[in-house]
Amino acid sequence: MAEQTSSFGRHLIGFEIQFRRNRQITAIYHALRLIFPVILVGTLADFINQTWLQRSGYYYQTLHVAKWAFQLKLLRQYLGLLSAGTLGLTAILVTFAVSFYLVAPATPLIVDRLMAGIIAIIALKSLNVNRQSVLGNHSVQWLSNNLGLSGILVGVLVGLLVGNGYRWLIDHQDPDHKRLEQTVGGIGLWLIVLNGLGFLWVSTQTVSLNAALLTLSQWPFQLPHTLGTLLGFGLLTGTCQWFGILGPIASVGGQSIEAAQNLAAVLDRSGWHVPHPVTLHTVVDVYATSGGPGMVLALLLAIFLVQHHARQRRVGWYCLIPTLGNFNAPLLMGLPVIFSPILFLPFILAPLLCITLSWACLVLHWVPAAAYPLANGTPGILQAYLGTGGSLAALGLSVVELLLSTAIYYPFVKWAGIAEEAVTHEPTIS
Amino acid sequence: MNRQFRSFGVIMLMLLLLCVPGFLWRSQQRAHVQAAYRSQMAPVFLVPGSSATQNRFNDLVGELNRETPHQHSLLRVEVMTDGALKYSGSIRANDRQPIVVVGFENHHDGYETIQKQAKWFTTAFRALQQTYHFNHFSAMGHSNGGLVLTLFLENDLVKTQAHADRLMTIASPFNLEEQDQSVDTPLFKQLSNGRKRLPKALTVYSIAGSEGYSGDGIVPFDSVNRGKLIFQGQVKSFTQMTVTGANANHADLPENQQIVALIRQDLLA
Repeated sequence: MAEQTSSFGRHLIGFEIQFRRNRQITAIYHALRLIFPVILVGTLADFINQTWLQRSGYYYQTLHVAKWAFQLKLLRQYLGLLSAGTLGLTAILVTFAVSFYLVAPATPLIVDRLMAGIIAIIALKSLNVNRQSVLGNHSVQWLSNNLGLSGILVGVLVGLLVGNGYRWLIDHQDPDHKRLEQTVGGIGLWLIVLNGLGFLWVSTQTVSLNAALLTLSQWPFQLPHTLGTLLGFGLLTGTCQWFGILGPIASVGGQSIEAAQNLAAVLDRSGWHVPHPVTLHTVVDVYATSGGPGMVLALLLAIFLVQHHARQRRVGWYCLIPTLGNFNAPLLMGLPVIFSPILFLPFILAPLLCITLSWACLVLHWVPAAAYPLANGTPGILQAYLGTGGSLAALGLSVVELLLSTAIYYPFVKWAGIAEEAVTHEPTIS
Repeated sequence: MNRQFRSFGVIMLMLLLLCVPGFLWRSQQRAHVQAAYRSQMAPVFLVPGSSATQNRFNDLVGELNRETPHQHSLLRVEVMTDGALKYSGSIRANDRQPIVVVGFENHHDGYETIQKQAKWFTTAFRALQQTYHFNHFSAMGHSNGGLVLTLFLENDLVKTQAHADRLMTIASPFNLEEQDQSVDTPLFKQLSNGRKRLPKALTVYSIAGSEGYSGDGIVPFDSVNRGKLIFQGQVKSFTQMTVTGANANHADLPENQQIVALIRQDLLA
């Protein structure tokens, strides 16, 4: 298939193809695709729970769900269990799959592939234990709160470590020895080494690996809200998400002291006088998270405008409902955006553009600052409108930013589609 | 080309459709936000009993501030018989849980005085609310102070549009000093009749002191025990506790270490 592509695009596509053919990256991509259905189902359950059944949900509030729905509590419990049982185990699934797919090309034996995955899960769990229970010689308590969407990066890293190690063992197996003995010896050695690493981490570090990464990503909250720090926050959030730390990073802005003071000022006095017009909440949460962090709603629109690649479009349709409610995990993992060099650029650039534009409009008083809390699942373009108590200028700005972000995503989505085909079919790039 | 714009159009249409409930709901948004809104500041009101002034809790507040990471500032308000307010102390900027002691110029005992004190408390509460813009609070009343607060919650809270989070009454005689358990005083009848107006989301702790088996030396145990007939089933939760041992007589109760611990744990936490 011939495509007209700029030289920048050709470079990017070439780099993406080279990147994707790397054995490690191939394993990660396979793993993400494998667990996509699980993530999709979990996200849909979470979406319904958060937006329709919880008090802070958009549909719960606007459609007065409490007045007509029945068995709300039961539904909340059921969907909570469903999302915890799927999204809550993301890191375990990723680590198993990455290790499995790394070993798969090296051995025809299913048992070896499965064992590589199992060892990776054990290694991941040895990093997620309650420090006090280990050091105090009590019965060991496992932590489960680091195994969700925010644990994808750690899952990938552990999967790569174990998978590569297992490959090395397979490559160095002695054909004269009996298989069972070799397997037991290899697995025993690996478990001792990996548990040792986990123990070393637990006994020397006071926080889990994930908590350390999340703390790092939250440092801008301690800084004053200038354009520089807002952009820095956007860059850091985007980079973290691209690396697979899909945690509740961006939503913290709505709970800051400044946001509380803004809300108090609006409710206590007549008129709309907000003491802190430029904060993470008024800029990033409100304007740069249509479809979730990374302006992913624009990515979805770009996918349907490009129509280049059938798989992209199919994933787009599957992810439509959660993305319209700002739940971006399925699209980030299904396409995937995570670990994709081509999509990294618009994933960072689109929010940065929105942050800059919104900051300028707020500073110039062209739009009022949002002070009302945002309900979960509020459609991206409506966040600013409802946050400001009905400002049409804010609504207009949101729509403009969504369209601009779509324009930013458009060429990159096209190139990502070409690269995707090239990895499987070898297209002609002119 | 047509197909690609058709899909794009379908998604934009869906986006617009999902926005419709938001547009329709917007007129109710302010009321909704207002109802769910809780100010950052949630003061803790302390009301002393009869014969005690607004300085009654100075030692208690000092004790409470001794082992806490967040110091509570202390404002004392005295309500004069003509409704005028006299302030001493101050509320520190950004103190989310200041302690406000409301005392009364007329701090005598008696049914009539308690009624007046409840109205004077409302006067002080509204003045402070206008100054500090809080919309939720907790309160502790010692002896008749607990009765004043209960009357305020039943009769005047709704007018202030504030939300009561927690109430702790210490040795509050809901049936006054009546020794005969079969007699209902007019005050008890009034509190019992108004119990349906108590806030449903309120958490209540009633603490009794016990020197012997019948009371704390001044208030009969049965009178404190009658709190359950007022609060139980009307508020979110009602917990009744009896404190014995050293400092368990009526006047010493606010400085009793067990009670200080309970205030720290249940009222300020």
